[in-house]
Amino acid sequence: MFFTFKIYALENIDERVKNLTLELRCMTCQNQSIYDSDAEFSNDIKKIVKQKLQAGESERDIKKFLVERYGEYILFRPLMNYNNIFLWSFPFILLIIGVFFVLIKTKTKKA
Amino acid sequence: MRRIFILTPLLVLLIICIFSLVYLLSGKDPNKPPSALLNKDVPIFESTSLYNSKEIIKTIDIKNKKTLINFFASWCSPCKIEHPLFFEIRKKHPELYLLGFNHKDPTTDAKKYLEDDGNPYDFVGVDADGLIALEFGVFGLPETYLINEDGKIIFKFMGPITKDVLKNEIEPLL
Repeated sequence: MFFTFKIYALENIDERVKNLTLELRCMTCQNQSIYDSDAEFSNDIKKIVKQKLQAGESERDIKKFLVERYGEYILFRPLMNYNNIFLWSFPFILLIIGVFFVLIKTKTKKA
Repeated sequence: MRRIFILTPLLVLLIICIFSLVYLLSGKDPNKPPSALLNKDVPIFESTSLYNSKEIIKTIDIKNKKTLINFFASWCSPCKIEHPLFFEIRKKHPELYLLGFNHKDPTTDAKKYLEDDGNPYDFVGVDADGLIALEFGVFGLPETYLINEDGKIIFKFMGPITKDVLKNEIEPLL
């Protein structure tokens, strides 16, 4: 039973490494995730991610660790913070402008 | 008046788009993202000397010293290109502390490289497992960092430094 649990834990860690490294950019490749890349840099990061997950660190902590060293560029999905406010809010700005135009158009048609 | 009212949101959108475009095209090279450690404290490190495993260098040892840190390896061809420039820096700025980190290199290869091409460094630290490079956010060799007397990273360069980089970017900071 202990053996089964150990195998399950290992598979689980590998799955978590895969999920996390799929969200990380290989800085030395062209648009490849760290998971998909075999570059030395990517292999190092995979190793570090695995070590940290085994040590019980959360995905969030690992991302924070990597962002502190490599910058937000390493993340495929930008962080929701003050610097990226424009990026995240732009679709809503577009939506508001679109709704505004639709309203004006309907109002003009009615008139 | 009504026309202006209708066109205002479009104008706002246009201005936003122009600003975004100017920002995106402001000469930033997407292959060279800005360093997350720029203007931050130099990471904590500890490394043994390539020549004497009993000799150790730590972050505290470069305190109050202007230090140029260079990550290199014998297997890295671009490192060979920039290597002679470190002798130039050494000659022009003898007060500058030159610290080389030999990254993931067999000791014998590293020693042979420095024997053949010369050793411009005050100290050559070993980074066998690449963990020091990881702390510095290195993702390709060579990479060079300039640390000021307060222990802050004031300059980072990815790739081999050139005469132009030395003259226009490093020397003004020395």
